[in-house]
Amino acid sequence: MASSGPHVQAKFFTKQPQFTVSEDVFSVPATVTTLELNDLINGLLSSADGDGESLRREFDFLVQGEFLRLPLNTHMQNKGLTAERVVSIEFLLRQPAPEPSTAIQQEDWISSVQGNRDSILSGSYDSTVQVWTRTGQRLVSGTGHTEPVKAVAWVKQEATGGQFLSASQDQLIVLWDWDREGGTAVPSLCCRGHARSVDCLATHPTADKFASGSWDKMIKLWSLGDAEEEEEEERARGKKKAKQEQLGPTRTPLMTLQGHSEAVTSVTWVDDITLCSASWDHTIRTWDAEAGIPKETLTGSKAFHSIAYSSLSHLLASGSSDRHVRLWDLRSQKGVLVESTLTAHQGWVSAVAWSPTNQYHLTSASYDKTLKLWDTRSPRAPLYNMSGHREKLLCADWSIPDLLICGGAEKQLCTFSYSDQLSNMPDRQQGN
Amino acid sequence: MASKRKVGEAKLEKEELDLFVDAPPDDDDDDDGDTSDSEESVYSGLEEEPSSSEEEEENSSDNEDHGTDDTTDTPGPTTDNTAGSAGTSSTERLDNRPQPDEYEFDSSDEEDIRNTVGNIPMEWYNDYPHIGYNLDGKKIMKPAKGDELDEFLNKMDNPDYWRTVKDKTTGEDVKLTDEELDIIQQIQRGKYPDKAYNPYEPYIDFFTHEKMIHPVNNHPRSKRSFIPSLVEKEKVSKLVHAIKMGWIKPRKARDDEPKYYDIWENDNQYTPDKRYQTHIPAPKLKLPGHEESYNPPPEYLPSEEEILAWTQADPEDRRQAFLSKKYDALRKVPAYAGFVKERFERCLDLYLCPRQRKMRANVTAEDLIPKLPKPRDLQPFPTTLSVVYEGHTDVVRCISVEPTGQWLVSGSDDETLRFWEVATGRCRKVLQLGGRVRSVAWCPNSAVCLVAAVVDSTVIIINPSLGDKLVYHSTDNLLNTYEAPESQETKLPVEWAAAEGKEHDMGIRLRISHPKTIRQVTWHGKGDYFAIVMPDGGRMSVLIHQLTKRRSQNPFRKSKGLVQCVLFHPIRPFLFVATQRYVRVYNLLKQELTKKLMANCKWVSSMAVHPGGDNLIIGSYDSRLSWFDMDLSTKPYQTLRHQKRALRQVCYHKKYPLFASASDDGTVVICHGMVYSDLLQNPLLVPVKILRGHKVTQNLGAMDCEFHPTQPWIFSCGADTTVRLYT
Repeated sequence: MASSGPHVQAKFFTKQPQFTVSEDVFSVPATVTTLELNDLINGLLSSADGDGESLRREFDFLVQGEFLRLPLNTHMQNKGLTAERVVSIEFLLRQPAPEPSTAIQQEDWISSVQGNRDSILSGSYDSTVQVWTRTGQRLVSGTGHTEPVKAVAWVKQEATGGQFLSASQDQLIVLWDWDREGGTAVPSLCCRGHARSVDCLATHPTADKFASGSWDKMIKLWSLGDAEEEEEEERARGKKKAKQEQLGPTRTPLMTLQGHSEAVTSVTWVDDITLCSASWDHTIRTWDAEAGIPKETLTGSKAFHSIAYSSLSHLLASGSSDRHVRLWDLRSQKGVLVESTLTAHQGWVSAVAWSPTNQYHLTSASYDKTLKLWDTRSPRAPLYNMSGHREKLLCADWSIPDLLICGGAEKQLCTFSYSDQLSNMPDRQQGN
Repeated sequence: MASKRKVGEAKLEKEELDLFVDAPPDDDDDDDGDTSDSEESVYSGLEEEPSSSEEEEENSSDNEDHGTDDTTDTPGPTTDNTAGSAGTSSTERLDNRPQPDEYEFDSSDEEDIRNTVGNIPMEWYNDYPHIGYNLDGKKIMKPAKGDELDEFLNKMDNPDYWRTVKDKTTGEDVKLTDEELDIIQQIQRGKYPDKAYNPYEPYIDFFTHEKMIHPVNNHPRSKRSFIPSLVEKEKVSKLVHAIKMGWIKPRKARDDEPKYYDIWENDNQYTPDKRYQTHIPAPKLKLPGHEESYNPPPEYLPSEEEILAWTQADPEDRRQAFLSKKYDALRKVPAYAGFVKERFERCLDLYLCPRQRKMRANVTAEDLIPKLPKPRDLQPFPTTLSVVYEGHTDVVRCISVEPTGQWLVSGSDDETLRFWEVATGRCRKVLQLGGRVRSVAWCPNSAVCLVAAVVDSTVIIINPSLGDKLVYHSTDNLLNTYEAPESQETKLPVEWAAAEGKEHDMGIRLRISHPKTIRQVTWHGKGDYFAIVMPDGGRMSVLIHQLTKRRSQNPFRKSKGLVQCVLFHPIRPFLFVATQRYVRVYNLLKQELTKKLMANCKWVSSMAVHPGGDNLIIGSYDSRLSWFDMDLSTKPYQTLRHQKRALRQVCYHKKYPLFASASDDGTVVICHGMVYSDLLQNPLLVPVKILRGHKVTQNLGAMDCEFHPTQPWIFSCGADTTVRLYT
């Protein structure tokens, strides 16, 4: 540690109890980087263990809530910290890189994807919707749409099967009943009402209704229950007859939310009654889904392609055509709504998805052919880039906690296994 | 300097001696006051001696001292005695001296009067027993002198040894008094000898120039001063008489003009006619170099060939007017033969030198450029390539965007028409049309879903079946409702044919055949009429078709030139027709020519109308883009030249103040074009971005460009078979 140049007083602490080190203040060179700090912490830990068993671990370092990516003094300068006080540096195990697990070849572009438990639902430009196992085995393929499927969403999944939704450019949303044993998916409901291509779906957390957004600037809420509405449907069907029969009984929307002046590209549920939608008209709107009234409007400067909400961090992530991922705080009372901007993509950000288990992690897919894993504490550089795709990515999903899924014009459904260090910690301790 | 200093020392010694001399008379002779007075006035330092008795006491104490030292120092008393005798004798002599005042301050008078040898080095008397002669010519004997031991003992024992000096002229020891010491110290310090003397006493100016309130003297004014003078009265009366008689005339008033004036007063202001102000120095003569030396270094000496060349060359062509020559001595250098000629040429130089000063305007290039806002402040505008639509296999000639901006259609030389999803770059449909697609236009009416495409001499109306199902079904219904009228008076060789069977399934609905190759198709804003351009069609070069009635009409009776393109006005019933050099604006209702715009370029390639309808841009093959403000003038308001090669297409954005031009050099230039509703304010045109991306193939770059209808994005297509979206 003895080197020329200015030094900084630093104190190390961690929230991971197995790595606790003494609270001593160290004098480290101001230009220290994570590499040297890693050596220091590893040295401290091995000396504390005393048994000389030196299993080297990689740590990341947080200074004032942001990952240390530059030399310490530059980082502190950016953060406006003075070098005269003792700096508290939090360290934590570095997030291991996601490993590519499977690549499922498909017939056509993949427009949308959603995982649930052990199966992956994907919508394709060949107008089919398919369910896959994690290993790449096709469980079922639903055909019935006449135009490319633009969005898919799980409703429920059981051991014997389940229900899922698909929305297509043929203006229909179809609810499929999936029988796992028989390997069949039968359309059980056909939701008509949108005037143009339906581009996004969001199932309500209680799975009794869902929202859809379309190019016709509308957001529609639909019921998933059956019962008495069905009879209404019967009457409606009586008029139209015949050809609709193959996609199941017709359903009309519960509610239509009107307000966007351009195509709605993404909808998501913030909580049970609040719906959030993003549009090409450069706004993100929140709606009261019970009353059907708009609540708030967040205005950006570019068209939004995708939004995702995390109930862990209470942040809304948005991907837009200006290549940035922005994090919005919907609860914020102060004027600044954009919490931070994650900048690294080279093309449109087509999809964003939050980790269901880690409040800091999210993933984004972009037209620049990369999937990026972000930590919100490191806004300037992503944790990992998953490049190697040959074509632009159109969708990404992180519904299964340990699986990142993305698909796009490459016609491949790629999955990456993600290990959450928080959940993995007990295992490690047992291993030690 | 050294001698002067010596003189000074000598004087000091003398003074010391004088002091010493004067002391004894003071104590001895009180009766002869006159002399003592005079002496004292000379040596004022002694005037304020506290008392003579003190001196006496000191002397006596000295004597006592010496007395006590008698055993060792026998010569002591004798010296005293002699001194005393010498002192008395001198005073006596002083008494007898005549007292002219002039000698009082005479320095020569101050010389020693006890010893008459004068101012000589006393070493001369070292070998003699005497030391000089007194006034009476008697020898003054040297006082007895002790040996070194005595001297040393004296030094040790005598407390006053330090203040004892030897009088060289008499050889006696003299003890200096305190006052004398003071004076010596003062002089040593370079101050006035008398401590009490103040050189800076306040100066009393008795004869000051300032007027006093009291007279200097106190004499009362004489009586006479109160009596008027008779003589003066006489003189005055004489003068008064003379004035009355006119003998004395009043003095003429003096001219106020200054006697002297500054002839260089106006010299500071610059007047170009004054030659001395615009002095141009004469051209300088070249300084002589080595080659002009009488003894130049050998490398300056011309070789024989050079000499030959020099002599053969014309005098005007010679590089130098002489030949360097070597002489071993300066005196062997002959007279310079060309001297007179050279002087004459120098005079000519001076005389004929152009003495005209060129006035140059000091304008920097930056000042001439108009101040434009920074592009950063004019956002949004497309900046980066976002989506590339790939699939065509040949030059993509034309593109058109669906009115809502979800779909894009492109026509190419590979004889296909492709429909793309804008957001993803997905090709949704490919139509084989069996010919190069020259122009394509999406119907601007969002209630119908139709695309008009030009293949050779046919206009094909296509229903792409994209977008709203309801809309494209109703479009088909609308087309099917057509019923052919009974009376078909077709003067025009245009044939409408509905597509059937396989073609109908592909989406083709109508084919309109023309006699000549069609260059362009454009829709009217309502979506029912569309116009086509047949450049070779002669008087039928522009035709207007009506879709619902399947009717064609020819608006012009005769050809006005080679029509390049036509456009409908977005709001009013005007038709713009661009020929090679002019753009004519026709009123379709009144059927007359409203305006004729001079394009100010060689060959118009394309044109676009501002959504407001009052401004027009024209692109030309000589790479100019002209902006017309139609309320302003028929000449271009501004001509922009940002691209190196021919412009293929220009376009306006429907919502944002943007316009763009696509050029053969593969670039698309985006400009900010703000049109103000205030009629007094001219449009603000700022180039904001050059979008590069298209590769130049077969000398073709970007072929077409069109803005997205709602977003600040632009599509461009090019010869590199791609369509690109910049956002």
